[in-house]
Amino acid sequence: MRAVSVRVLQVAIVAVAASWTLAAQTPPPTQVTAQDLRDGLKNPTRWLNYGGDYGNQRYSPLTQITPANVNRLTAQWQFQTDTLGKFEATPLVLDGVIYVTGPLDTGWAIDARTGRQIWRYKRDLPPGLIACCGLVNRGFAVLGDRLFKTTLDAHIVAISRKTGAIEWDTPMVNYRHGYSGTTAPLVVKDKVIAGVAGAEYGIRGFIDAYDVNTGKQVWRFYTTAGPGDPGHATWRGTDQKAWENGGGSIWVPGAYDPELNLTYWGTGNAGPDYNGSAREGDNLYTASLVALDADTGALKWHYQFTPHDIWDYDSTQMPVLADLTLGGQLRKVVLFANRNGFFYVLDRATGKLIRAKPFIQTTWAKEIRPDGRPMLEPNSVPSEDGTKVCPDQTGGTNWMPPSFSPSLNLLFVTARESCGVFFSWKEDYAPGDAYRGGAVQRLVDEQYSMLRAIDALTGEKRWEFPYTNQSFAGVLSTASGLVFAGGSGNVIAFDGKSGKQLWHFQTGSSLYSGAITYMVDDRQYVLMPSGTTLTAFALAAF
Amino acid sequence: MRRTLWVTGAAVSITLGLACATSAFAQDRAARADPRPANNPYEGKAEAISNGGAMFRTRCAGCHGPDARGYLGPDLTGFWGAGGTDDRMFDIVRKGIPGTEMIAADPTRVLDRDIWQVMAYLRTLSAVPATTPSGDAANGAQVFRANCTSCHMVNARGGQLGPDLSRIGSARPRAGLHAKLRGTANFIRPGYEPVTIVTRAGERIRGVRKNEDEFSIQIMDMRERLQGYLKDNLTEVRVEKQSVMPVYGPDRLSDRDLNDLLQYLAGLRGADTASR
Repeated sequence: MRAVSVRVLQVAIVAVAASWTLAAQTPPPTQVTAQDLRDGLKNPTRWLNYGGDYGNQRYSPLTQITPANVNRLTAQWQFQTDTLGKFEATPLVLDGVIYVTGPLDTGWAIDARTGRQIWRYKRDLPPGLIACCGLVNRGFAVLGDRLFKTTLDAHIVAISRKTGAIEWDTPMVNYRHGYSGTTAPLVVKDKVIAGVAGAEYGIRGFIDAYDVNTGKQVWRFYTTAGPGDPGHATWRGTDQKAWENGGGSIWVPGAYDPELNLTYWGTGNAGPDYNGSAREGDNLYTASLVALDADTGALKWHYQFTPHDIWDYDSTQMPVLADLTLGGQLRKVVLFANRNGFFYVLDRATGKLIRAKPFIQTTWAKEIRPDGRPMLEPNSVPSEDGTKVCPDQTGGTNWMPPSFSPSLNLLFVTARESCGVFFSWKEDYAPGDAYRGGAVQRLVDEQYSMLRAIDALTGEKRWEFPYTNQSFAGVLSTASGLVFAGGSGNVIAFDGKSGKQLWHFQTGSSLYSGAITYMVDDRQYVLMPSGTTLTAFALAAF
Repeated sequence: MRRTLWVTGAAVSITLGLACATSAFAQDRAARADPRPANNPYEGKAEAISNGGAMFRTRCAGCHGPDARGYLGPDLTGFWGAGGTDDRMFDIVRKGIPGTEMIAADPTRVLDRDIWQVMAYLRTLSAVPATTPSGDAANGAQVFRANCTSCHMVNARGGQLGPDLSRIGSARPRAGLHAKLRGTANFIRPGYEPVTIVTRAGERIRGVRKNEDEFSIQIMDMRERLQGYLKDNLTEVRVEKQSVMPVYGPDRLSDRDLNDLLQYLAGLRGADTASR
């Protein structure tokens, strides 16, 4: 009897010891810190920001997959959302778990090794949502053990990373007036920053910062300058309150420079889109890049890409931060391939234009003057009888994020050549109704889309790969010299230097997002959203 | 009258729900829309006519022609003269015509007001309908069987290299069909673009393109065989501008036979179940 007890005790001791050993081997749950976000992709098991790092380079240091072995890349698993719509999100990865948002305000935590769901989040959406271009979402942001996202009914919410449960829920604005949330937020220190979509519905755009712990609004920057704001005088004309419905939406996230403590956001088109007659002037700060103090939201500088936009040339593309040697001097710059067809290099401390060059055919303006203003071409104003302008309203590129390889000094952009016939008419504003003042006929025979490599130092085109159909794929580049992009549902790997196509896989649905890459168990994965599916690739294990 | 209006309104909101992938959205917007007026509230208003003209040129002229006299889609100038009503025209624009290229107008992009303004513009072009075209449809049917059936299906009979023409009378105006047959217009429906491919073995295959991506192409060849080809295995892929359909000039088809054929085609307005 006694002997048995001793044996039981011994077994118990061994068991406890074993569990301690196990505990010692299993790392504690990670709390994402502000420093982790600044570190970007330094930790190869993580992808914590929409753009990979705060500079949106989407350039991974991973080198397990190379141009020499990429032909052995094989699909490992697929995850399907069981929803309508499509992924436009960039997934985040942390500790072997993927966090991704889907269409119709959904989200998932997924095992990064197997694609198995861990939890699912689904918001009960009210009727009457207004979103011009799909009920999509572009992703989570993360800090601590919370995820943050914007919602189609224009709220911003914090979600538990462990359970998918809502922790706080703050309305940004009344969605019934044409506002929606589709951008991924950007977390900077203790604030989560985001804005609203809806410039096709006469919204007044803004960028907001909220306290990560409470969801309380800390600051707001309006993207149309109201009375008393600098820039208000750029809203003239017959409609004295044009700025109230002047657009300037925010539907992709910005960038952050910790040294300058500035956050950079591209702003949407002016509204109504195609009829500027009632809103004469530059219409600040639409179709611009604004640099805001991350703590206060104060405007440090702005650069307007398309003053008095009448072509729906949203500047909601990714600002890419890079340090380039220009004229023998290392400069902190923003690279910006704009929907209006120009590739800009700006000084990111001052906003001063360093260089702008068209990366596709442009006929609204042929060049940008040294003072930063476009030289407008005659006969490019939308009209009752139609005016042909290149590019069309979808633009030379769009929301699909580009990638910058600092080792090659190349910016890889999903670009398109296109022209459209722009019509305009008079439209009155009514809350929640479309407010475009015109429309565009695409000239389908004149368009094609391609992956284009632009030399960041000169603005010259280095190579391109033409797609068979229109592509909206984002881009990823890696330190091994690979570029991942795609078209027609094909994920394609390229040699970044030469543009040579090295590998491809047909996912079965169009790509509206970019690939990411991460390590789990010493294995490099490439993850590509397409349609409502995620596909994870890794080198075949032989 | 009130009842009629209500019924029409209900039909519209049901259609909107079906037409829009996000039905909750569409229903809500339809619900808050005002009841549809019996007559066009914008008729005769100068600004509405001018706006409507611009909207017409953007959204409608591609098919109905810059003067609304018909091209791919029917002539609209005779609509009211032939007894058409505002209500009927509004319904067609909002709901579309199933089985044709006339799609439903998305209520999130095209407001009721826009439709009324386009109609106000069209009324200014309104003309007396052209004299009713005449022709011998029975002979036209014979001409069709002799020349067209090998590639075109009508009421489930015929070939499938070209589009099914069972509804062509609703989808195309006579002038458009005339132009296509005589070869003065060359519009090709997506999925029917002529293509020639050459395999590495030197085999030349002609057909119509069903789909294509960066690495492959899917076609129906002239014998109606569906097949995909890897571009790596081809030395040439040439998509041509000229339709696979031959041009029927006066040497192949007399004016009279052409007129009869058009009379027959104009009467094809949906599957004729009785003939199956």
